[in-house]
Amino acid sequence: MFPNATPTARVGVDVGGTFTDLVLHDPARNLVRTGKLLTTPEDPSEAILAGIARILREAGLRPEDVHSVIHGTTLVTNTIIERTGARVGLLTTDGFRDTIEIGRETRYDLYDLFLETPALLVPRALRLEIPERIAADGRVLKPLDEAAVAAAARQLVEAEGAEAIAVGFLHSYHAPLHEVRAGEIIRGLYPGLPISLSAEVAPEIREFERISTACANAYVQPLMARYLDRVRSSLAATGFRGQLYIMLSGGGITTLREAKDFPIRLIESGPAAGAMAAAFIARLAGLDHVVSFDMGGTTAKMCLVDHQEPNHKFEFEAGRVRRFQRGSGLPLKVSVVDMIEIGAGGGSLARIDPGSGLMKVGPRSAGARPGPVCYGRGGTEPAVTDADLLLGRLDPAYFLGGEMALDLAPVREAFATRITAETGIGVEGAALGVQRIVDETMASATRMHLAEKGKDPRRYTMVAFGGAGPVHAWNLARLLKIGRVVVPLGAGVASALGFLVAPPATDMVRSYVARLEALDWARVNALLAGMRAEGEALLTEAGAAPDRITYRPVAEMRHVGQGFEIPVPLPGLTLSAADLPAIRSAFFAAYRARFERVVEESPIEALSWRLACAAPGGSIDLAGAVPAEAGAAPPGPRAHRRVLFEGAGWLDCPVHDRYALPVGARLTGPALVEERESTCVIGPGATAEVDAWRNLVITLA
Amino acid sequence: MSDMAHDLDPVTLEIYWNRLISAADEAATGLLRTAFSTIVRESNDFATVLMDRNGDSISENTGGLASFSCILPRTTKEFLRRVPAEAWRPGDVMVTNDPWLATGHLPDFTVVTGIFHRGRLVGFSGSIAHSPDVGGALWAADCRDIFEEGIRIPPGHLLRDGQWNAQMLDILLGNVRVPRQVQGDLQAQVVAAEVGARRVAEFLEDAGLADLQALSAALHERADRAMRRAITAMPDGSWAAEIAADGFDEKHTRIACRVTVQGETMAIDYAGTSPQIDRGINCVMNYTHAYSVYPVKCALDPFTPRNEGSYQAISVTAPERSILNPVYPAPVSARQLTGHLLAGAIYKALAQAIPEKVIAECGGAPTMRALFSGTGRDGASFSQVLFASGGMGACPHKDGMSATAFPTNVGAGSIEAYESVAPIIVWTKRLRMDSGGVGAHRGGLGQEIELEVDTPDPVRLSLISDRHDNPAGGLLGGGPGGPARITFRDGTRPHPKSRTTVPGGERVTLLYAGGGGYGDPKARPREAVLHDLRHGYISAATARDVYGVEE
Repeated sequence: MFPNATPTARVGVDVGGTFTDLVLHDPARNLVRTGKLLTTPEDPSEAILAGIARILREAGLRPEDVHSVIHGTTLVTNTIIERTGARVGLLTTDGFRDTIEIGRETRYDLYDLFLETPALLVPRALRLEIPERIAADGRVLKPLDEAAVAAAARQLVEAEGAEAIAVGFLHSYHAPLHEVRAGEIIRGLYPGLPISLSAEVAPEIREFERISTACANAYVQPLMARYLDRVRSSLAATGFRGQLYIMLSGGGITTLREAKDFPIRLIESGPAAGAMAAAFIARLAGLDHVVSFDMGGTTAKMCLVDHQEPNHKFEFEAGRVRRFQRGSGLPLKVSVVDMIEIGAGGGSLARIDPGSGLMKVGPRSAGARPGPVCYGRGGTEPAVTDADLLLGRLDPAYFLGGEMALDLAPVREAFATRITAETGIGVEGAALGVQRIVDETMASATRMHLAEKGKDPRRYTMVAFGGAGPVHAWNLARLLKIGRVVVPLGAGVASALGFLVAPPATDMVRSYVARLEALDWARVNALLAGMRAEGEALLTEAGAAPDRITYRPVAEMRHVGQGFEIPVPLPGLTLSAADLPAIRSAFFAAYRARFERVVEESPIEALSWRLACAAPGGSIDLAGAVPAEAGAAPPGPRAHRRVLFEGAGWLDCPVHDRYALPVGARLTGPALVEERESTCVIGPGATAEVDAWRNLVITLA
Repeated sequence: MSDMAHDLDPVTLEIYWNRLISAADEAATGLLRTAFSTIVRESNDFATVLMDRNGDSISENTGGLASFSCILPRTTKEFLRRVPAEAWRPGDVMVTNDPWLATGHLPDFTVVTGIFHRGRLVGFSGSIAHSPDVGGALWAADCRDIFEEGIRIPPGHLLRDGQWNAQMLDILLGNVRVPRQVQGDLQAQVVAAEVGARRVAEFLEDAGLADLQALSAALHERADRAMRRAITAMPDGSWAAEIAADGFDEKHTRIACRVTVQGETMAIDYAGTSPQIDRGINCVMNYTHAYSVYPVKCALDPFTPRNEGSYQAISVTAPERSILNPVYPAPVSARQLTGHLLAGAIYKALAQAIPEKVIAECGGAPTMRALFSGTGRDGASFSQVLFASGGMGACPHKDGMSATAFPTNVGAGSIEAYESVAPIIVWTKRLRMDSGGVGAHRGGLGQEIELEVDTPDPVRLSLISDRHDNPAGGLLGGGPGGPARITFRDGTRPHPKSRTTVPGGERVTLLYAGGGGYGDPKARPREAVLHDLRHGYISAATARDVYGVEE
């Protein structure tokens, strides 16, 4: 056997809380394969290795044939949620040891007197104050007390057992000298100790968010460094000679080195893949405005993808006390795909609220255990999947492609005792009620998300995936007055494709606060050049050709005195006063798009300068994803089933085999299209067509 | 369509209610997106409410200021008294900032428009937001009458048939320091009202409903039912409590409160409360009502969404000409200094009946505010409020939250951002050791802020504060929180409700009050005391002398 001259296969691996998902693409052989196995929580690399070995075997490839492995993980998120990270010490400015504890001083629920607050990543005794002070304008008001730094580091490491150190001084976002010097001192004392400087992790104004981010980075760093090293060495031991890339929360991929230095940037790497997959589908189908809708077992996630690029934001809340409650988590300044997560999934439970007597669905979920009633694993409360089954949307004999049989009798019983007995609504009406409420909940959240950005849902196309996505997509689109829904083939694993199409990318940021007319352009250009050099080095290291890297400079700007910034695209990487009119009008355009009006006379200032650096992403020919048996089945429905639709009653629906539908096939609703991991509902009045990439495109009446 | 009762099952009602809450949230988003000043966006000082044809609320935005959402329907009914329903046309928008008809002081503007569906007036959509300026003595508690406090706009048309009332706007903008910001925020309020009205009309169209009345009645019934159920679960009885406040100079004020529960109703009465005074801490009846029912909702029925029905089972009364029901032209600008205290008085009374549902008094009630204004080194003028909070009272099962306000929920911004817009250096902002009231559960800690005026010239300092002489009380054996205190570098203390001038380079230390403790301190577990001691939340002396714990 001779190894390929150039290995071409790429493997995406997503380690989730329950499952490790894999996807393999080999363009040379036009091959796409997916796989799923249980995560091994004690050592997640076990499942990774086992999964890669299996998927390579199925594809007939060897580790030597693999060009690259792209890895995403929930390890960072879980470490923060479960508070299982390192013992961290913080050095901070004299007078400010409680910055991360005091926070924003707001209650996230106005009516709950007994609110739980997120547990502190760094307890008070491990937060030490250092005499030093830099002013808002960068003046040194008090020099750094270097002896105090050394003493504090010793105290934290030797007396308190700190395993990582964070340093967060006031105004370091634009004057990092004291933080940098403190870092050198600590490194001199403890060469191997992980150190997170707030000015490096998140160089942005606002001390609470910046220092919290530095602490969170330190908190996950020792664990992630060990883990990533282990993954790399075990992969190497199998004969793998390719590159290992890590998926970032912003949807790009990066090197092992950046991932180890700034592991906090991996926090949302799994969900980002779903958005990248939706962006890829949008690119294939030529869609400019897409709502990505990913509905699984416990949550639904929505993300706007405009011009084939998922929306981004630069802050994220981790480890929420109440998962779906804004403000109940730890705010982090990291670049993430801007998505909303709603407590609405197949496992979301229905109940009657004792106070008002009204029906509620979610956010409480049956999870994988006990799961919905129909799983027959001990669940007794009706869940969304139970309602879908009772309404005829799911086939009890063809769940997960027939791997799992669902039981209808206990489902009827659960609705009868939990809902009908309380309200007098019949069993079928109750199931329809669950579907109506869960779809309306998702519609409301999506409307709000769009409203906050000043966007109109009617201009959007929905791309639906996840196990429950295609089941609910048609009705959700109807509620949102969205005219078109695209359901990619393999909707249950589509999200994993995101790993293979994600570009090598990195987002840089620097702070420099000044009014536009007072900007020092030499300083701006130096900032941009510095970020460009750093970004280019990083992406080149990640295998990108320097001439194919694109750079998008953006400044965060606002009117002087306002408390919020908006991102404004800049006309180039080398700027001068001559660019001012263009920058000013770009600011007004962005301001108007968001806030509907501009106030031209009011002075403008810039706070942060960002540079998004990216190389081209991969592409996949989805035809390779169709199982070999596809096309063998006869055309036409393989069965008929009755489905209950709101306002239309029980309708007889043809059931089609997704894999048997050829390109160009047309269907008229009501109809069902089944594939292994999901069922697509096409409601009455809607039509559907299989496009050239095997997407099912539903057009609503 | 006529018979709604049949259609409004527990599923449909849930969906419709959520849809109307979403509509109010979208209106709030409209306000946030288009407001120009920072006050709405930064300090959450606003609310949006949707109402039926009678002006009764059906839904309010999720994060809105509780007092505002409670008051807006009252103001709308006042508009209806002056402009009857049949006279409203599409494009008409009413406005007022009259303290007695609206939210108790001049800076809040109430803006309301009609909701039209199939050519008929079916309801109202409105908002209240804190304006950047209303002329007069901005941020002052020491005015002698309302005329010193700013310009009062009686209920009137802000827009008529979609046209701005130019005359009213001229008068208003001619009386404020930052007319552009004031106008920008009013425009944002109009946008919010229009968004809310549009969303409700779309909803009615989608749902195939002719109007809101039957739905509104059903929603009120649900909210009312939930509250009555919660009150019924309480024992019947009558419980009194009294709390003291600093008042103004020698005029200390007292709040006397009696809560009476009979079956499914609750009556709150303030007989015996101090008479109104000639300083701006009088709290008008609307505000008294709002800050009485809000803490009751928190304690008894926190999770049912709110509307007009939520508070029908609760009556609130206060003697006329008392500090909780003053008459025109009393000064009222800092009415929150009195109104924020009501929760503590009500909980002190309720603790005798339902101790497991209430918290001890809060150090952040009332809020303490310091406004610095003047000219910086660069010649630019500045005017910045320092936002920060005291500690919350302890709970029956856990310690109080530190540096968090209740009953209001105005947060704090970043010190780095503050220093970048004001010539002030904040040298310290940290939790205040021993400021949490002792108890089986400790009160939340207040904070200590030390700052330096970084200008060569004097600056103006406005202070609005209380709790210097009357710290937040504990419950059921818990101790009081640390009192508020403001001192200059030389140890002298400014008047807590004053407007003064301080020299350039002056240092000011502000101690924010801690929350009261809950239960007997001797019942506090030793590990909890040791934990507090190790992390510096309490001193060794407190551990030893109060809790009887030594390391």
